[in-house]
Amino acid sequence: MQQLSDQKTRTAPRSYPITIEHVTKSYGGGAAVVDDLSFVVKPGRVTGFLGPNGAGKSTTMKILLGLASPTAGRATIDGMAYGELADPTGTVGASVEADAFHPGRSGRNHLRIVADATDTPLERVDEVLELVELSAAANRRAGAYSLGMKQRLGLATALLCDPPVLVLDEPGNGLDPQGIRTLRNLLRSRAAAGNTVFVSSHLLGEVEQLADDVVVINQGRLVTQGSLDELRQSASLVRAASPEALQVTLEAAGGVVESGQPDTLVVRGLSLDEIGEQAFRAGIALHELSRHNDSLEDRFFAWTGDTAGGTPQSNTKE
Amino acid sequence: MYTLRTIRAEIRKLTSTKMPFAFLAVLAVIGAATAAAVAFGTDMDGSKTFISTAADQQSLMAFAANALIIAALFGAMAVAREYSHGTVVLTFLTTPRRPQAVFAQLAAVFVAGCMLGLVGAGVSTGSVAAGLTATDYGFMVSFADLAQVLAASTLAGGAGAVLGAGIGALVRNTGGAVTGTIVLLLILPPLAVQAVSEAASWIPNTLANVVSGVDNATGMGEAIAAIGLWALVPAAIGLVAVTRRDVV
Repeated sequence: MQQLSDQKTRTAPRSYPITIEHVTKSYGGGAAVVDDLSFVVKPGRVTGFLGPNGAGKSTTMKILLGLASPTAGRATIDGMAYGELADPTGTVGASVEADAFHPGRSGRNHLRIVADATDTPLERVDEVLELVELSAAANRRAGAYSLGMKQRLGLATALLCDPPVLVLDEPGNGLDPQGIRTLRNLLRSRAAAGNTVFVSSHLLGEVEQLADDVVVINQGRLVTQGSLDELRQSASLVRAASPEALQVTLEAAGGVVESGQPDTLVVRGLSLDEIGEQAFRAGIALHELSRHNDSLEDRFFAWTGDTAGGTPQSNTKE
Repeated sequence: MYTLRTIRAEIRKLTSTKMPFAFLAVLAVIGAATAAAVAFGTDMDGSKTFISTAADQQSLMAFAANALIIAALFGAMAVAREYSHGTVVLTFLTTPRRPQAVFAQLAAVFVAGCMLGLVGAGVSTGSVAAGLTATDYGFMVSFADLAQVLAASTLAGGAGAVLGAGIGALVRNTGGAVTGTIVLLLILPPLAVQAVSEAASWIPNTLANVVSGVDNATGMGEAIAAIGLWALVPAAIGLVAVTRRDVV
């Protein structure tokens, strides 16, 4: 994926927000796989859809794309269900299964089939193959592709019709570090042009690199959503001469305090100014007071309470 | 226009893998076996009575029953593998209206089945003709009867492919779809005849021979309609199943 942006990225696209409204999905009257889930994916942002394995991410995406029907609720793109869109593939490019290819069919023929079905000029097939750096392997059987190459082919499929909305399920799986970087640049360039980019992952490091916003779900339910920066920068780091006394003082002032290293506290719920004033009043000397950027992994376990059925992975797969 | 491009995509799916060539290879093997049987085979008494009349030769060339079974297996595999390989996801993304997607699949396999049936009958006819050159008998089948054999095989191939596609859509597993097709076409009909002897006139093999002009168990129109029903009922059941099911 040597080019960092798709040449055909639209410059002034119409906005296509994705809206998930009270979506519930259960199979055979069993427990809900997705449970009253609501969130909005904004255009112009890369939104990471995060949750452990089995959290309901893929099911939610399949409901959004009309591949599964919700038990309750509604999932829309610009206010319409996928199947109601006048030009579904021209509006939404999706890759929801990494190996959804016939193993005996070449990558080029796979894309030609999509081009036929969507009335896309066949020249575009070669363009997207070049975009994802698969031109050299285009005539090889997809069954012989590595996972990373399959991901690239999936991405090429999603980009074929140059849609203003991208819905990608675990697109970074199997990509090498360079592939991750170029995927990030590609998605960011699409978002910067006003497109809607919705990317699921259970790889925390990948989301941390890719996303502007995150939607976190666990066991089918929304845990949190918002700007990744805001969510990470919600804590302060304090080093003090008397951390125990300071902890009591800050908790009395309404802060939520975690002890870290021997003389270090991580404080939530109080601003830097408030912490400084409380310490001053208590006569406690501060050695350090700074904004604390949690890693996404830390925040994830805080959000989910580490109760997830599957443990998310903190490193991107190589 | 929308439907045409969807059908075009489905036809490209069928022609962009080696599966059609595998089926053509099967037809070639059957043709070679037919030619060898005509050239070197004999009746129990050592004579070549089985190729001595135009009707006998037409029976040998009548490929419709084989076409129906072979094309049914083709249709079942073509559709079931869409599910087993997950490519059906792309099908439903590009064609969210599922009845339209299924119709396109059925249309494509119908065309492919017709081609298989026509080629099969052509190979069969050519094989008989080739085999006859090694015997004392000439080619006696009239042009009209030959045309009927080819047309019957073409029709049976198309119908068989649609039947198989319906089973493939219903079962969604290649092995299961092939098994289901064999059960429906080869195992259940004899059992049905055992239970109700009148059913013999309406099983696929008999109907295919009627449209080929080598059996008169039913009228031509009835046979064509019955073959259509054999194809359309599984296809309709498959369509309903596909429309109602999630892709998981």
